[in-house]
Amino acid sequence: MKLAFILAFKNLIGAGLRTWLNVGILSFAFVLIIFYNGLLDGWNEQARRDTIDWEIGQGQLHFSSYDPYDPFTILDGHGVIPSAEREGMIPILLRQGTIYPKGRMISALIKGIDVNQTELKLPTHLLRESEAQIPVLIGKRMAKNSNLSVGDEVLMRWRDKNGTYDASGITVAGIFDCNVSMIDQGQLWMDIEKLREITGLTNHATLFITTDMESKSVKNWNYFSQEELLSDLTQMIEMKKTSSSILYGLLLAIALLAIFDTQVLSIFRRQKEIGTYIALGMTRMRVVGLFTVEGSMYSFLATIVGCIYGVPLFLYLAKTGIGMPDANQEMGIVIAERVFPVYGIGLIISTVILVVISATIVSFIPARKIAKMNPVDAIKGKIQ
Amino acid sequence: MSEESIISIKNVTKRFPVGDGEFTALREINLEFTTGEFSGLIGPSGSGKTTLLNIMGTLDSPTEGEAIVMGKSVSKLTHRESAMVRNMHLGFIFQVYNLLPIYTVYENVEFSLLLQNRSAAERKQMVMDALEWVGLQDMANKKPSKLSGGEGQRVAIARAMVKRPDIVLADEPTANLDAKNAHAIIQTMKKLNREMNTTFVFSTHDEKVMGYLDRIISLEDGKVIKDEWVEAKFSIS
Ligand SMILES: Nc1ncnc2c1ncn2[C@@H]1O[C@H](COP(=O)(O)OP(=O)(O)OP(=O)(O)O)[C@@H](O)[C@H]1O
Ligand SMILES: [Mg+2]
Repeated sequence: MKLAFILAFKNLIGAGLRTWLNVGILSFAFVLIIFYNGLLDGWNEQARRDTIDWEIGQGQLHFSSYDPYDPFTILDGHGVIPSAEREGMIPILLRQGTIYPKGRMISALIKGIDVNQTELKLPTHLLRESEAQIPVLIGKRMAKNSNLSVGDEVLMRWRDKNGTYDASGITVAGIFDCNVSMIDQGQLWMDIEKLREITGLTNHATLFITTDMESKSVKNWNYFSQEELLSDLTQMIEMKKTSSSILYGLLLAIALLAIFDTQVLSIFRRQKEIGTYIALGMTRMRVVGLFTVEGSMYSFLATIVGCIYGVPLFLYLAKTGIGMPDANQEMGIVIAERVFPVYGIGLIISTVILVVISATIVSFIPARKIAKMNPVDAIKGKIQ
Repeated sequence: MSEESIISIKNVTKRFPVGDGEFTALREINLEFTTGEFSGLIGPSGSGKTTLLNIMGTLDSPTEGEAIVMGKSVSKLTHRESAMVRNMHLGFIFQVYNLLPIYTVYENVEFSLLLQNRSAAERKQMVMDALEWVGLQDMANKKPSKLSGGEGQRVAIARAMVKRPDIVLADEPTANLDAKNAHAIIQTMKKLNREMNTTFVFSTHDEKVMGYLDRIISLEDGKVIKDEWVEAKFSIS
């Protein structure tokens, strides 16, 4: 076996340009697979962290008739949890409203939150510290849409519990910057106590954010674990991974085809060499092994070459991150402006194994032909 | 010279399938070769010389009859066993030298020894000895493409001889060489034959080669028509 490696290596280096072409394509496939997977993993990791920090906390308790995917359930989807049972949970109350910045009309989801919370990164202390009558927090996207800045006053209209319209001025106490557009786009955050007061929904909440991972069971309320709340994101990343695997499947197929082609050609062209090996006392299977090793060697060389230009590239990108177009954020996808790829050892090892195994297989298939060669014809180079 | 039989061809017939029928390349050949012989197969083109050498070299097997090489029946050997026989006991020299182009002269000669799993020190000694026999010590690091025809064939001889085989089978070794080189090559082989008692079997058209042979076997249409021991015309100094 060691001999096969030495010979294969010599043969490959001897073959020159063709070898480097194959190695080049294969290493490119290899680097791209790792790069793209690393990007998705990095995105996933950041997006999960941001979503946990800004939106979902350790878990949530939703009022049974509230459905986050159906805005019509907001109106009646709220209730009260007895004070003994809501220990350590942060209440959030949702109401529909409208604001009128500079004569425009923008409908907004009003979110009341406990201003003393520290579980979410939302800067609720700004609400607590503000002297305004109704201070609100908005995200940078909402600020851009509504053209509001810190200190601006704007008219807000809402309905109280009886459905009667009411209106009052609100003041922007702070603008927060986060990657989770779900808590930003079209939303106003305010003190839950104030929201309860102006709507008459004393002690009511639409949902609670839990500060521990423990499952809660409260009558009329549904508990969702952190993992369940992240499942959308997880699914989306999984989908991206699946669709991108088609891309690298294709890329790898091209690289493997090039190796296959080289193998078929070299077995044909090197008949005399094959015959000579047999005459010198190699068994046919050993020659098959030699050619197979030679083909799989492309993957070893590709790994080395891939490392030579891949590692510095990966390190650089992992450090500086990759800028993401704004469009992604507008579409409600949780994605940072810069995604920092994460390259797991598992990812790298499994990619290397995948590439090595597939290169070995495509090298073995044509090499099997050697076992059926007549050595006498091979020595003369007479096989067509 | 010992009289021990090293190759024994008994009633060997070889047929090749061609088109719908068969072509008989060898017909009921009976031959014995003893250790240390320096003999040659001669005959017109197509008479079966190469076919017979290939059978003696375990690269092919008889359709009928039996070929016994180093005490083993060729048609009964597995791939692995025949590879072993070739590796340990047989050396081949071809008309086209069949040197491996990407290896140096040294590496070409070393190859069989690698297959024999010999130690590096042993290999080095043996390769240098073999190159000395053929006078190519200085060419060890050259690639075959840089060699002249005569040098190439000498490398092929070194490659066949390096493992000190019992039998060397040489199929028209001088066909591509000029007279001077042909004499030099054949003299080298004769010398090795004398010094190591290696059995040589040639196939040749070349009068010069025939002049060195101790025994000439004439083939025609796959049959032995003459088999005689002769007084070598040329001798080695
Ligand atoms: N694999 C094969 N299939 C069919 N016919 C073959 C095969 N090998 C050899 N023959 C035929 O057998 C005959 C003997 O061939 P062989 O090569 O042994 O002749 P040779 O005496 O070595 O001739 P030359 O002097 O030209 O080398 C030839 O007619 C050849 O065409
Ligand atoms: Mg011939």
